[in-house]
Amino acid sequence: MSLRARWIMIGTITVLMAYLALPSFFSQEQRDAGHWWLRQDGITLGLDLQGGVHWLLRIDSDTAVQQELKKLKSNVETWAEEGKVALTSAEVKGESLDLRGDLPGLRKLVDENLDIVDVAETDGALALSLSSRWKKEVIDRGVQQALEVLRKRVDGLGVREPVIAPQGSGRILVQMPGIQDLKAARGVLESTTFLQFKNVIDAAPNKELLEAKFPNGIPEDQEIVFSQARDGGETEALLVPKEAVLTGDMLEDARVDFDRRNRPQIAFQWNDEGTRIFREFTAKHIGDRLAAIIDGKVITAPVIQSKIGRNGQITGDFTREEAANTAVQLRSGALPIPLVIEEERTVGPSVGADSIRDGIRASLLGTALVFVFMAVYYSVTGMFANAALLVNILILLGLMSMARATLTLPGIAGVVLTVGMAVDSNVIIYERIREELRAGKAARVAIAAGFNRSFSTILDSNLTTLLTAFILLTFGRGPVQGFGVTLAIGLTASMFTALVVTRALMDFFYGDHPERLRI
Amino acid sequence: MEFFPTRPNFDFIRWMRPMVIFSVSAIVLSFALIAIKGFNFGIDFVGGTLIEVQVPESAGAVDEGRLREIMEKLGHGDAAIVRVGTPEERSYRISLLGSQEENRDLSVQVVNGMNESLGAPVVVKGIESIGPRVGKELRASAFWAIVFSWVGIMIYIWFRFEWQYAPGAVLALIHDVTFAAGMFSLFGWEFDMNVLAALLVIIGYSINDTIVIYDRIRETVQARGTAELESVVNEAINGTLSRTILTSSLTQVVVVAILLLGGPVLRGFALALFIGIIVGTYSSIYVASALLIWLSRRYGHPVPAAPKGKAKARATA
Repeated sequence: MSLRARWIMIGTITVLMAYLALPSFFSQEQRDAGHWWLRQDGITLGLDLQGGVHWLLRIDSDTAVQQELKKLKSNVETWAEEGKVALTSAEVKGESLDLRGDLPGLRKLVDENLDIVDVAETDGALALSLSSRWKKEVIDRGVQQALEVLRKRVDGLGVREPVIAPQGSGRILVQMPGIQDLKAARGVLESTTFLQFKNVIDAAPNKELLEAKFPNGIPEDQEIVFSQARDGGETEALLVPKEAVLTGDMLEDARVDFDRRNRPQIAFQWNDEGTRIFREFTAKHIGDRLAAIIDGKVITAPVIQSKIGRNGQITGDFTREEAANTAVQLRSGALPIPLVIEEERTVGPSVGADSIRDGIRASLLGTALVFVFMAVYYSVTGMFANAALLVNILILLGLMSMARATLTLPGIAGVVLTVGMAVDSNVIIYERIREELRAGKAARVAIAAGFNRSFSTILDSNLTTLLTAFILLTFGRGPVQGFGVTLAIGLTASMFTALVVTRALMDFFYGDHPERLRI
Repeated sequence: MEFFPTRPNFDFIRWMRPMVIFSVSAIVLSFALIAIKGFNFGIDFVGGTLIEVQVPESAGAVDEGRLREIMEKLGHGDAAIVRVGTPEERSYRISLLGSQEENRDLSVQVVNGMNESLGAPVVVKGIESIGPRVGKELRASAFWAIVFSWVGIMIYIWFRFEWQYAPGAVLALIHDVTFAAGMFSLFGWEFDMNVLAALLVIIGYSINDTIVIYDRIRETVQARGTAELESVVNEAINGTLSRTILTSSLTQVVVVAILLLGGPVLRGFALALFIGIIVGTYSSIYVASALLIWLSRRYGHPVPAAPKGKAKARATA
């Protein structure tokens, strides 16, 4: 390639990388402003630098299997009834569903209806258990549902650029940058923010007084729930049926609203089915009390004044934030399967700022020392190496910005370390040129030989280091992975800058005047 | 400026025997130390909960003892409490063995309990909680990452050089990783995710250094044959010596900057690299090259017609 063509290539790459890297030096607001010269994609700061909450969650697979077996149980009961097969008992025991009755008939029934279930016959019972494929499906489905619910809830918290992604089998990664209030964040994981409406059958100031009204005990299909004011007083025990009139899964929307006295309330809207049930029920029960129960706690139990349809409000003794959180949770529905926190990391914003400052200061100092060292040791050609190093850093930042890479603290260390290791290619070449000169070769020959003979060394040493970078990428997690990316990009770029950029500079300055070579 | 105005000619081979004995004992000792004493694993690897808090001035005088009492009252008498930074900073790190997997609200409970007992809300600087399952998986994947990088490099060198070169290079890597890990075990320094990353970077750095010398040996063998392999190796080491010194000191400069100024999070990482760069440079000479000489003496060393990378080098020139 002619020198001119090489300059054009180097120039194009430099300008392109500068363009790509530029957004990383601007704030998100400025990036969003839509300047033609400013792309939107930039390096984002990792949670350790920005502060925020990181979770690795796992679907509780035992519960998931239990739930699936319970569904299976009711299906089998239906089939047995329809097919007139004797089924004396069906119960979920551990990881299996034990069926008793007409075993050959039941087996035939199972064979006809299910194809991915493991069947075993043990002491007079037919034990059905989920095959591994089915289990995987159950878990995958659980992950999908949980992802959807989590997305809605995290959105409700107003998090900028959250990460909510499946990780391997049955795991979910959640990252919420900028979130500091751990308690509010935890609300995202509450498994069942469950809204129920129940008609109040009886009421008394406390449990004992209420129970006293039923000398024979409370009927089996009813239960006692409590309402409690914030200050701890004014409690009331209410007798309600176990079966709810309406539940939150028929809600279409829920949001915070304010009543006439500017107190927060939760405004909700039923879907068509909910509207129908609610209207019929309230029409029949005017004058009765209706309890709104969230997670087993009575929020309010007003008297029904008139027929109510699609829209309603729940007023209660809660703060604005509580109302907002509850509304978000009601809107997003329940998490069907509980999530287990396998890993949690929270970083306060001040720690983030401290580590950025320390990390950047150390990085700048380290890089500056490398530059000075090279300039002193190789004089003018050392400056060429420094120029190549600058292009290297630019490529690194450019590609990381383009990939929207996340910069973590170890990532910053990775960038600096790459700088240290990237000069190696230049050092190998320069030492070789010196050796050739010492052997009495002319400057022009020495330069060419220095580059040519260093090539295989540079290639081998960089490829093997790249190999370890890829292993970091594959096996590491989180910050370590980011570190692997930085190392891989930096090393690849260093081969280009040492072999092409430095060479072009040498050819430009010494091509016609090799006698000027100072190395 | 030059370290060696004339080509250096140190007799590295003369010291090979004692150095090999030293290296072998270092590997054996490190392995034994790791097996017996083990690591002071961070919660990344064993699971647990770590809470870093800053106690506000309004809570009055505070020290580890007072916080320990509070933790005991909260039912966590086994918590380890360490001050971070100077007493004036009033920052403490509380580590609990239990993870949130067993009790989802553990960290919230502890922070609330502390706020109550201290009578002032603490500033939560960070919370980390890792389940035991994740920690176990991480240890396994760390082990495999290191083993795979050894195997990968073995195959690469076999392919690009001759088989006699491969065992030396890999033994040098084993030497470097076990030595650095052994130091962490010996001094009980915390072994976390970042230290693991550093060990893998040490592998990358060390193989880089070994390859440069190997490449020169291969080249010199072509010119001079294998009759005096010891002196060929010695010449190759001397020929690349100024590069070795320059590169390792430049990388070390960066590492030292991170070690001294990079803050507490990066300290373990930088410390592992600091050790690794020293042993990585050393092992290229006294482990990798030493084993190459021994294997070549025993099984012979083929004289390649031309190095495999050479043709490409010409093509790009």
